[in-house]
Amino acid sequence: MQAKPNIILISADSLRANHLGCYGYSLPTSPHIDAMACHGVLCENVFAPAIPTQPSHTTIFTGLHPLGHGVVAHGGKARLARGTTFLPEILLEEGYTTCAVDTLFRERIWFGRGYEYIIDPSLRHLFYASVTQEELNEAAIHWVRTVPNGKPFFLFIHYWDVHYPYVPPERLRGLFYNGGNPTDPNNHALDQWWDHPVGAMARDTWLRTEKGLVTDPNYVTALYDREIRYLDEGIAALEAALEQMGIADNTFVVLLADHGESMTEHRICYDHYGLYDCTVQVPLIARWPAGKLRARSRLAPMRQLSDVAPTLLDAAGAEIPEGLDGSSLLKQWKGEDEPSGYERVIGLESTWQAKYYLRTKQHKFILARHPDLLGNPDRELYDLEADPEENHNLVSEQPQLAAHLEKELEAWIAERLETAGRTQDPVREEGAVGVDIWLKHRA
Amino acid sequence: MEQEPQGKVVVPDPSADNPPAEPVPELRPEDEAIVAERLRELGYIE
Repeated sequence: MQAKPNIILISADSLRANHLGCYGYSLPTSPHIDAMACHGVLCENVFAPAIPTQPSHTTIFTGLHPLGHGVVAHGGKARLARGTTFLPEILLEEGYTTCAVDTLFRERIWFGRGYEYIIDPSLRHLFYASVTQEELNEAAIHWVRTVPNGKPFFLFIHYWDVHYPYVPPERLRGLFYNGGNPTDPNNHALDQWWDHPVGAMARDTWLRTEKGLVTDPNYVTALYDREIRYLDEGIAALEAALEQMGIADNTFVVLLADHGESMTEHRICYDHYGLYDCTVQVPLIARWPAGKLRARSRLAPMRQLSDVAPTLLDAAGAEIPEGLDGSSLLKQWKGEDEPSGYERVIGLESTWQAKYYLRTKQHKFILARHPDLLGNPDRELYDLEADPEENHNLVSEQPQLAAHLEKELEAWIAERLETAGRTQDPVREEGAVGVDIWLKHRA
Repeated sequence: MEQEPQGKVVVPDPSADNPPAEPVPELRPEDEAIVAERLRELGYIE
């Protein structure tokens, strides 16, 4: 057996953790992912320090908090500094052959760093998120077959099926929808979505059907769940190909999402902004039989996506650079260390809203740098144990706790900015980059 | 701490009980062009 494992990092864009069976969902959206979790390890409480796609993936590949790498917005002005640690670059230096089956490098050039091969089947589409798992798998499996025996590889594969627009294959029609009339013209539950430019785009395109405009949010949620089911089939096919090639045992497969998705919670419809758990909590599942990961383990402590890069470097036997915000999970996944995690996770967004969150096991505090266009208060406090859906803002009932958490959050931000050598808070600098477009849309 | 996983491994048949009345959402080529154009305006894609 080759000394270093192959590594496959799977990012399932917009895959919300609690819509997977292995994270407690009641519908069978993910039988193969659930089986993968059964044969490997699953972290129950993993959070994205940044949303959405570009800042979150920058954290995944650098092991840095967004205040460390500076990329806080999707479509923002910041660029990743040259010389910043980037996972594929280190693996390349460690003797890996590296490949991304992905489209991100077309949006931000740093996502191409360290890859000998970049394959982008989404070029066949006008909108890159229309690319399917089948197209990505075809390219990825073909590439893996070209890797010489004994040469370890790193493959990053970025699936877009679960990202809007939700247009699952027709053969999945009927799954996860309990009847009703998806196009009832008297149902106005989605009208609030048309206020947002992405909602209006959905109304004008993929929600228009031969039977009329889709108006039932339960039906849209069913479409989202069917996309998960379709993705699940793709992950099963990828794993089957590894088995068929005889390399599954020594291939370290890590599945995660960059962020989740709000269905209609908090008046955020089928999108990935808002710092509530539906959007910032993500799945993290790993499988590596030859690496002796402790199968059937579920780890409860809070972790974050900045832990992924050091974990993969650890598995590759590479030195983990100093100064990363994340730390390796490998020993915990092997059962060599007791499960442990963070007392708090701090994250941010700067795309449709400009906000920070501080999350402990029990509480979530959200602080706005700019007023949001949904009219939420600048400060929100939730008791996650009593109110896991984050519906009851406790700021006025528990002002001392809110003030304490705000002070803790601001102190951490100031310290992290100083460590990063930054004089300005990038969330203040970038603001909410989509707000002008949203306002223009409203007008 | 470690717990037993709750994952399901039973794979139901998606083709069962398909209600024929359901619409079929699709992204028509003209719609995909609109999506790409709108997201470009939003700065989501370049």
